[in-house]
Amino acid sequence: MAAQKWSFKITAVRKVLIALAALAAAIAVYRLATGLGTTTNLNDRWPWGLWIGFDVLTGVALAGGGYSTALLVHILHYNKFNVIARSAMLTSLLGYLLVMVGLFLDIGRWFNFWRPFVSWGYHSVLFEVFWCISLYTLVQVIEFGEIATERVAKSWHKPLKKIMPVMLILGVLLPTLHQSSLGGLYVIEVGKLHPLWWSPLLPLFFLMSSFFVGPAMVTIETTLAGRALGHRVEDNILRSLIRIAGVLMVIYLALKIIDLVNRDAFGYVFAGGLESNMFLLEMIVGVIIPIIICFTPWSAGRSGLVTFGVLTAAGLVINRMNVVITGMYQALGPGYFPSWMEWAVTIGLVSGGVLVYLFIAENFNILGRHEEQETA
Amino acid sequence: MLTLSVLVDLTRCTGCKACQTACKQWNDLPAGIPEFDNNLTFPSKTDGNTYTVVQHRVTKKDGQDVMRFAKMQCLHCLEPACVSACFAKALQKTAEGPVVYYPHLCVGCRYCMLACPFNVPKYEWDEVFPLISKCQYCFDPNGRYDRVGRGQKPACVDSCPNDTMIFGNRDEILKEAWNRINGDPKYVKHVYGEKEAGGTNWLYISDVPFETFGFRTGVTERPLPEYTHDYLKWTPTVIAAWGGLLTLMYLYTKRRGEVGKEQGQDKNISA
Amino acid sequence: MTNHFVDYQHTDVFLMIGSNSAENHPQSMRWIGKAKRNRGAKLIVVDPRLTKSTVYADIFARHRPGTDIPFLLGIMNYAIQNNLYHKEYVVNYTNASYLVNPEFGFNDGLFSGAGEKNGRVTYDKATWQYQKDGETIKKDPTLKHPNCVFQLLKKHVSRYDIKTVSNITGIPEDVYRKVCETFASTGAPNKSGNIIYAMGITQHTTGTQNVRAIAMLQLLLGNIGRPGGGVNAQRGESNVQGSTDLAMLSHLLPGYLGVPNATKHKNLQDYIERETPASGYWKNKPKFLISLLKAFYGQHAAKENDFCFDLLPKVDGKNRTHMGIFQEMMAGNIKGFLAWGQNPAVGGPGASYERKAMEKLDWLVVVDLFETETAAFWHAPGVNPQNINTEVFLLPAAFSYEKQGTVTNSGRWIQWRYQAVNPPGEAKSDLWIADRLFKAIRKEYQSGGRFPDPILKMNWDYDIPGHDEPDVEKVAVEINGYEIGKNEPLDSFGKLKDDGSTACGMWIYTGYMAVDKDLNVPNCKRRSREDSGLGSFLKYSFSWPLNRRIIYNRCAADMDGNPWDPERALFKWDGNKWICHDVPDFGGGKPPRESGAAPFIMLPEGHGRLFASGPVDGPFPEHYEPMESPTENIISKQQAAPCANVFKGDWAKLAELGDPNYPIVATTHRTIEHYQSGAVTRSCPTLAEIGPYMYVSVSEELAKEKGIKPGDDVWVETARGKIKCKASVLPVVKPLIVNGRKVEIVGMPWCFGYQGIVTGPVANDLVPAVGDGNTSIPESKAFMCNIRKA
Ligand SMILES: Nc1nc2c(c(=O)[nH]1)N[C@H]1C(S)=C(S)[C@@H](COP(=O)(O)OP(=O)(O)OC[C@H]3O[C@@H](n4cnc5c(=O)[nH]c(N)nc54)[C@H](O)[C@@H]3O)O[C@H]1N2
Ligand SMILES: Nc1nc2c(c(=O)[nH]1)N[C@H]1C(S)=C(S)[C@@H](COP(=O)(O)OP(=O)(O)OC[C@H]3O[C@@H](n4cnc5c(=O)[nH]c(N)nc54)[C@H](O)[C@@H]3O)O[C@H]1N2
Ligand code: SF4
Ligand code: SF4
Ligand code: SF4
Ligand code: SF4
Ligand code: SF4
Ligand SMILES: [Mo]
Repeated sequence: MAAQKWSFKITAVRKVLIALAALAAAIAVYRLATGLGTTTNLNDRWPWGLWIGFDVLTGVALAGGGYSTALLVHILHYNKFNVIARSAMLTSLLGYLLVMVGLFLDIGRWFNFWRPFVSWGYHSVLFEVFWCISLYTLVQVIEFGEIATERVAKSWHKPLKKIMPVMLILGVLLPTLHQSSLGGLYVIEVGKLHPLWWSPLLPLFFLMSSFFVGPAMVTIETTLAGRALGHRVEDNILRSLIRIAGVLMVIYLALKIIDLVNRDAFGYVFAGGLESNMFLLEMIVGVIIPIIICFTPWSAGRSGLVTFGVLTAAGLVINRMNVVITGMYQALGPGYFPSWMEWAVTIGLVSGGVLVYLFIAENFNILGRHEEQETA
Repeated sequence: MLTLSVLVDLTRCTGCKACQTACKQWNDLPAGIPEFDNNLTFPSKTDGNTYTVVQHRVTKKDGQDVMRFAKMQCLHCLEPACVSACFAKALQKTAEGPVVYYPHLCVGCRYCMLACPFNVPKYEWDEVFPLISKCQYCFDPNGRYDRVGRGQKPACVDSCPNDTMIFGNRDEILKEAWNRINGDPKYVKHVYGEKEAGGTNWLYISDVPFETFGFRTGVTERPLPEYTHDYLKWTPTVIAAWGGLLTLMYLYTKRRGEVGKEQGQDKNISA
Repeated sequence: MTNHFVDYQHTDVFLMIGSNSAENHPQSMRWIGKAKRNRGAKLIVVDPRLTKSTVYADIFARHRPGTDIPFLLGIMNYAIQNNLYHKEYVVNYTNASYLVNPEFGFNDGLFSGAGEKNGRVTYDKATWQYQKDGETIKKDPTLKHPNCVFQLLKKHVSRYDIKTVSNITGIPEDVYRKVCETFASTGAPNKSGNIIYAMGITQHTTGTQNVRAIAMLQLLLGNIGRPGGGVNAQRGESNVQGSTDLAMLSHLLPGYLGVPNATKHKNLQDYIERETPASGYWKNKPKFLISLLKAFYGQHAAKENDFCFDLLPKVDGKNRTHMGIFQEMMAGNIKGFLAWGQNPAVGGPGASYERKAMEKLDWLVVVDLFETETAAFWHAPGVNPQNINTEVFLLPAAFSYEKQGTVTNSGRWIQWRYQAVNPPGEAKSDLWIADRLFKAIRKEYQSGGRFPDPILKMNWDYDIPGHDEPDVEKVAVEINGYEIGKNEPLDSFGKLKDDGSTACGMWIYTGYMAVDKDLNVPNCKRRSREDSGLGSFLKYSFSWPLNRRIIYNRCAADMDGNPWDPERALFKWDGNKWICHDVPDFGGGKPPRESGAAPFIMLPEGHGRLFASGPVDGPFPEHYEPMESPTENIISKQQAAPCANVFKGDWAKLAELGDPNYPIVATTHRTIEHYQSGAVTRSCPTLAEIGPYMYVSVSEELAKEKGIKPGDDVWVETARGKIKCKASVLPVVKPLIVNGRKVEIVGMPWCFGYQGIVTGPVANDLVPAVGDGNTSIPESKAFMCNIRKA
């Protein structure tokens, strides 16, 4: 393939995104140079806040589209989803890279980030999360390497292709582990995390929700990309994808209820107050309405699909923030609202991600050439 | 149990803060100017530079206004959540009992802070490269801050004029605690730390409810690391089973696809 | 303290009144705690504030500042009315049976002999004397004679019934009755009660009489001279006992010898004749004084020249106490001032006026560890240095850990302390500074001067050849006393002579530097942890006098030499000799009846004084309202202390009774975190951190009424000034019902100033310059204020 010019259209929206990303970058430098106390509103009561809650916990889950698609396409070989595979995986890779940046900014002693590679606190859930996310990001880089080498460093393309099967299997195994482990982190918050969320099944809930949010994200993303880059995925493909999610959501909902009843916590659901309301919001917006959409003709059209996607993703965001913030409120007390710099970094990270996505999508074969993968 | 314990009998504490200042001085911890606190507890909580704080409270007992104090610090759990939470082994439980922090290993993730059922670990928020801060039980076997490792009492225990704290074997200390409780009806019938979070090395008895000072009540009696372990123990199984299953599925569906293609139909498209 | 801290473990009932031991004498709580645990002792705390000491209290009586006399006289009344006093003790060991001049009387707040001088009552004490038969005092051991001390006391205190006391103090009747029952129970012969007091008792215009009331109550209940008993003034600064012993007060020479008076004492003979009683241990006074003169003037002091008696400074009848001096300074009569280890800019009453007074000085020398508020008075906030011409010198002093020497604790233990670290920078020990200063002054006088002899004839020889630092042990030996020509420290003041053959800087300390034969160290350096019985630890340090741990200890046993409580047998006469666990103050050999005849060895009459003619303001304590008070005095028409010292000027400006601008009672107190004016502790980071804010304690009711929320800034205002600080709203203080009306009380620490790491307004800016008639101690514990949200 002949060398092409790199292309990147600068639109008004993109200018805004660039500005936001630049601001975040500046704050990030400031944060690294001066510490967490100067930048964040975190404190001894609230050691984890927006960055862990959104950038990491939510980020990883939203990036779950990568592994759920990978499972469907590469492991189960549901070939009809091929059209979305590459973009889902790209989003996922970018998501994880952003998570890494977020994490890096959030750890107080970033120069020591490598410690757990040598000093093994294997009894920690975080240890599993750390290893899995690190490895998975590596796996995704390799996976993306396969795409990238179609255009640059082409001599690497063949060997990469060779190890792809292993990578693909790892690429599903590792996220399974760490998506659940992210929930596992909060299993130790016995008595601190509100009973509406705390459960020994929390890891499973995290895993399931990260899986069913995948199709939702793919739907949103393909719709947006379709608009921005003129790439359309057919509604029926998305609809069957969503159906898979829907089935999982029904199981999820049922499990939640059984779990709440089992733990004598069901009473809290309608107890009123911040926790109950947020829980209801999360379940109604993020699970029940999407299920209805999914199994009614509503999901036949694009608007239904997009609504499903948006609601499910929003539900997941609410869920993760509920675990990190709402559910901890009673135990930790008031005293935390993210600083403007925390918001700016979070927003900037997402903006940066979008920009990179757009750049890659415009310059690499992400959206169009799905059939090639299988035939090569 | 042959681990070193401290019994803090809050009925003996007169709020003199000798322990609080002894801790600062012994451990070379810097001082700041804390915010005003109506209860006149300064700093009002332990923080990045303060391992222990004597909480002042005016409360009611038998209808009378009374003053009570509680020296708060890490409880040195028998099975510490913080240690189990630390993915870099920067927190470790020693055989003698103390739960010790090794700063050079710390990444600064603050998961220990979240994991501790008593909200003990604090952070040096004002530092560029902050460290976790918590009572080290004056245990520092190779370092200058060691006392317990050299057979001395912790600095705070040693400085108390009122024998509010006694230091010794957990079994004996626990027995003494119950002796005191059973011998005097004024005590609340509870040894805080006997069962909380599976038991702690620092134990408290009091004649006013522990909530008065913000001790968490209703803490699970099961050691917290067990909850994590219940989950983590499945990891190898999941890796083996799920990994194996994925491989099989991969191979199977791939083969089925190839077969399908050979037969001119795409077997994998509908599902 | 008549007793000592370790002895607290033997107490049955503690009455802690006007002392907050948990904050100010933390170690004492240890022994109170022990007594509670080991012998079921009870603790009564009497304080306007809920203090840390109440943690151990069985009864907390919240009372109005300045009402301690009714409180204490009421217990006496209760004990007498209910026959709970210690009869045997009272008859044998006190002056209860003495007959008093039949002319003696008391009428509506004033005792007989009241006259007036400069707007204040002065008494002619002629009627306050005992009836005598020649030299013998008349007595009635049945205590029935209407003129006997007991009957006079009974009558005097009978006015303080429970209801009246409750009305004045604001303590509910049932609580007060409980207090009376509990403390009067120590009148039982085998029980001992311990009264612990400090500044809540003394810092009043009735301060001396407050202390008298305590002593009388203890005599009545038979609690003095016994293990677990005593009148226990928990003293102040770590070595304030030592400095008081060594004549910190303007009317005393070392060892509590009165300073000669310029008009009364023309010569040594005069002094000796007028000031030496015929009986009691003070009859040895000439030996102590002449030995002191020998110590001061060395070989210059000889019989022929009255041992240089003329060189001693004399008093002139003017008030030379703290406030007296500042009054003179305000008037411009004092040119130079040496503030040596004191910080009056924060600690003095009407402190803002005292700071103003210092502007009148030509020079000020501050010898201190830090640039204190006093040293910095000329650049305090709101002060323009340009208007001040005082030249200020700051001499850096070494802290106690940076030098060696002795410290005397409240229990009279004199303990040698060693130097731990070297002083920083140019800081020098106080001894070094005093030594150089003296030598420099002497040098000046060598070339002439108005009256050089007191300086030039001063015995001053503390050098160690080749050393910069003077020899503190030489100073110590001089204080201890020695035989001229021999350098050995004497082991007892019994060996002091009035013929000039002994020298002794302070007789009461004699023996503290004598070498212990067994341990081979000077007594004050002993650290044996072996108990010599009943916690006396006679081989641990040295307790003045003569290593005696409990003074007036003959009272520990009855007339026959049997201990009042066999379990606490400090002394027991076994028929031939005394079995001792302390150093007896009655001569080890004297049989019980003989020694029991005069157990209060320092008093000429040998008996504890329930009636005393010493105080200027009456032989019995009587309740007067504080100079500023929220209520009229309901017990007599004498509103305030008749003999109080009221100074001139705005610093003594007082709010009128009922002034609506100042309706709230204020008191001041200390906190554990800071020491005194805070000069040291507010400069020490760890301590600054634990006590960073000046605050005022406000009741929840008052806060609500004034719209004050916890932590709000508030103004506290008195007739002298106002300060802004934080409000701590807790039931530490609460309104009391006084004479039928609700009275609010606020409390403030006085440890803040404008220097150091943490700063805050000076509480003493609010305090009036009025003092006790006997001692001039300022009334910093009871005055009127107002408070509002800032
Ligand atoms: N930490 C610390 N310790 C100290 C000092 C210090 O500054 N800080 N200072 C030292 C010195 S020099 C001294 S003199 C001692 C003083 O020791 P304390 O006398 O114990 O000290 P204060 O807190 O001034 O006063 C004692 C109590 O008297 C109460 N009080 C106020 N008004 C009255 C009243 O009218 N009647 C009665 N009965 N009580 C009243 C106050 O509320 C206070 O609780 O402490 C010594 N020890
Ligand atoms: N409102 C109110 N006022 C009070 C009282 C109260 O209860 N209420 N209490 C009163 C009482 S009891 C007292 S004792 C006075 C105390 O009043 P001050 O004696 O004026 O106050 P301190 O802060 O004790 O001052 C002692 C000074 O000595 C310095 N210093 C410490 N060690 C050394 C040393 O070794 N050498 C030298 N040269 N200096 C040293 C310290 O830095 C400090 O500046 O305050 C009185 N004022
Ligand atoms: S109290 Fe908290 S910090 Fe201390 S050992 Fe237990 S879990 Fe760790
Ligand atoms: S902050 Fe440090 S000590 Fe705490 S869990 Fe993280 S790495 Fe371990
Ligand atoms: S044990 Fe040591 S480190 Fe812990 S609070 Fe006590 S003095 Fe501080
Ligand atoms: S040293 Fe003892 S009495 Fe003092 S505050 Fe600490 S525990 Fe309480
Ligand atoms: S002198 Fe020192 S040891 Fe003694 S009570 Fe005061 S602070 Fe404590
Ligand atoms: Mo004092």
